[in-house]
Amino acid sequence: MIQRRNFLKGLGIVVATAIAGTPALLNAAEEKAKAPKGPNEFSYDMAIAAITSGKAIETSDKIDLVVPEIAENGAVVPVKVTVNHPMEESNYIKAIHILAKENNNVRCADVMLTPMSGKAYFATRIKLGKTQDVVALVETSTGNFIMTAKSVKVTIGGCG
Amino acid sequence: MEINRRDFLQIAVALGIFGATGTNLFAGEAGKERIKNMSFSDIVSFEPKGKVTLLHICDMHAHLKPLYWREPSTLISADTLVGTPGFICGESFENYYGIEAGSLDQYFDTHGNFEMLATKFGKMGGVAHMKTVIEHIRKERGANNVLLLDSGDTWQGTAVALKTGGEAIVDAQNYLGVDVMVGHWEFTYGKERVMELIKMFKGEFISQNVIDNDPFSDTFEETIFPPYTIKEVGGAKIGIIGQSFPFTSTANPKKYTEGWSFALRHESLQEYVDMLRGEKKVDAVVVLSHDGFSVDQELAKKVNGIDFILSGHTHDPSPKPIIVNNTVILIAGSHGKYVGRLDLDIKDKKVAGYSFKLIPIASNLIPADKAGEELVEKWYKPYNEELNEVLGTTKGLLYKRDTFYSTFDALIGEAIMDAMKSDIVFTPGYRWGTTLLGGDQILKDNVYEMTAITYPEVYTFDLKGEAIAKLMEDIADNVFNPNPLLQQGGDMSRLTGASYTIKIAAPSGKRISDFIISGKPLDPKKTYRVSSWGGNLQNAGENLAKETPAVYEVVSDYIRKKKVIDIQMTSNVKILDYDCGCPKAGAKC
Repeated sequence: MIQRRNFLKGLGIVVATAIAGTPALLNAAEEKAKAPKGPNEFSYDMAIAAITSGKAIETSDKIDLVVPEIAENGAVVPVKVTVNHPMEESNYIKAIHILAKENNNVRCADVMLTPMSGKAYFATRIKLGKTQDVVALVETSTGNFIMTAKSVKVTIGGCG
Repeated sequence: MEINRRDFLQIAVALGIFGATGTNLFAGEAGKERIKNMSFSDIVSFEPKGKVTLLHICDMHAHLKPLYWREPSTLISADTLVGTPGFICGESFENYYGIEAGSLDQYFDTHGNFEMLATKFGKMGGVAHMKTVIEHIRKERGANNVLLLDSGDTWQGTAVALKTGGEAIVDAQNYLGVDVMVGHWEFTYGKERVMELIKMFKGEFISQNVIDNDPFSDTFEETIFPPYTIKEVGGAKIGIIGQSFPFTSTANPKKYTEGWSFALRHESLQEYVDMLRGEKKVDAVVVLSHDGFSVDQELAKKVNGIDFILSGHTHDPSPKPIIVNNTVILIAGSHGKYVGRLDLDIKDKKVAGYSFKLIPIASNLIPADKAGEELVEKWYKPYNEELNEVLGTTKGLLYKRDTFYSTFDALIGEAIMDAMKSDIVFTPGYRWGTTLLGGDQILKDNVYEMTAITYPEVYTFDLKGEAIAKLMEDIADNVFNPNPLLQQGGDMSRLTGASYTIKIAAPSGKRISDFIISGKPLDPKKTYRVSSWGGNLQNAGENLAKETPAVYEVVSDYIRKKKVIDIQMTSNVKILDYDCGCPKAGAKC
């Protein structure tokens, strides 16, 4: 597990940005074209369309999405995405998008990668308003979209 | 697999114990003869196998002394789960395991004939009696060939545990010779105290699923405790991986474990299993777990290569092993009622065979170890005056375990409602506590046995009707979700001042109907005065009362005032899907 820690330390700046607010990493042009009026008015379908421009999405087991079955704290739910994919000049993972299907603002994080990233990996914490699916949507440099989703339960808890 | 306890019970059956429910099978001279016939050697009889013995205890909940403990008369879950081990009780349990009415097994494993059998067989558990059994096995097998493994929920549950900050119980574990443990309620002493107690503990505290959650810490994402240990025992190398309770931070106040993250973490568990088998070349992989019996049955589907899971948390007695994906899963009841014995035959660097038995700690049939009695006396002495106070007496049975309603909880709810003048009281559906027989005195110690937690505050606050309904749905989903991984292993919160109807099979958020508060249908817009303890509900409320008395004092005051306690056995919850409390497989009654 030590390797992962060192790796994360290297990624520290990216992680911090993502927590502070994801729009900083958005593709501005793409955003402008499809943006709704209010910042919290995204529906899941609209958000997906804004990212893919309507292209087909394939569900893929190449994406390893790690989320807790039950959130310890809905305000900071750890999410890790690793894509089992080459990171070469001609063929790499261009973007990892993390979405929370039923949040007011469904787009939690948009991370742009280059072959220099070395590995298609991103970890952050997101806020979940209630029990829902967390989605990792991934774009390859060849313009394909793949995704995977996992349910996270958000509960007030209760029994011991 | 050998189940010699069955054999000796068959002798009891041959002697004429045919169980007509409600008849006193042990009346008269013939009955005395039957009890006399059961001896210590019957209880510990076991056909040994191989050279290695693993002894397993779980969920003792700090009960140093023997107690009565009645198993549930209602244990309801999703229709796909009822009737399977972890979700059987009473008659469905007896049918599943072939248990005879009137037997010691019926007394230990079910609620059947409980009061009658209690007067005959006496109290259960107690460290002095457990020690006698453990030492008997160590002597038989050779002390170096035996490990004692503890699945946790050991440090909390009684007054001596609370008042000594867990120290009395660690002392008892050292006396029993616990080699390895994991935790859950242990964590409610707070991080610092947990670390102090681990220093006092002579065994090892392990967990692969508790990790540092503080991004600014040097040990971010590293395990807080050693994730595993390797023990050389009986000429074999046994790898033991720890699983503490995965939902500690949602089930108990977060403040006790701030900066630590809990989860099932089956991915990293698989990595440790592979590492122990590969690099470390162990002969057997054991997971010592507080996940819960049903969660561990799911875990065994996800993780390959585990030989044994010694489970805990859900308090199930399981006389026979469950086998899932070549993993053998065992669990040893609760409250010190049983010691599980697992013999392993290791050949060619792997498990060639095993035998298992749950040994019932019947305190009348197992002599107490003297040093154990002295240990109990030593820790109780400073508190005897307070704890032995007779608060009152109970007319009927006071018990804890049940999915929806239990008499001791009804008493707690009544006491809180009386003191706080609230409309509705929530009492947590913990699975630990005690049992008192009709006519018994209620001691202050017994009240602590139901309520001894480090956060005993009774909170009183306002909640809208719609919030109450939503909370109950949320709690119901934690108990009845058909996916065991989304359950948290407790029972429903108990309500006082209210009643409701439930359809277990209904979708999440739509299970509860006919919700009545103070005799009238729940009004979503109305504001109700709510009291609760032992949970997080107050966080959802408004207008929180400044007064937050300790629940054990509120209950003690009420019993002192009433003197005689008379709680009805009838539940305030109507179940639509089932006509009985202990359905069989296929959800049949």
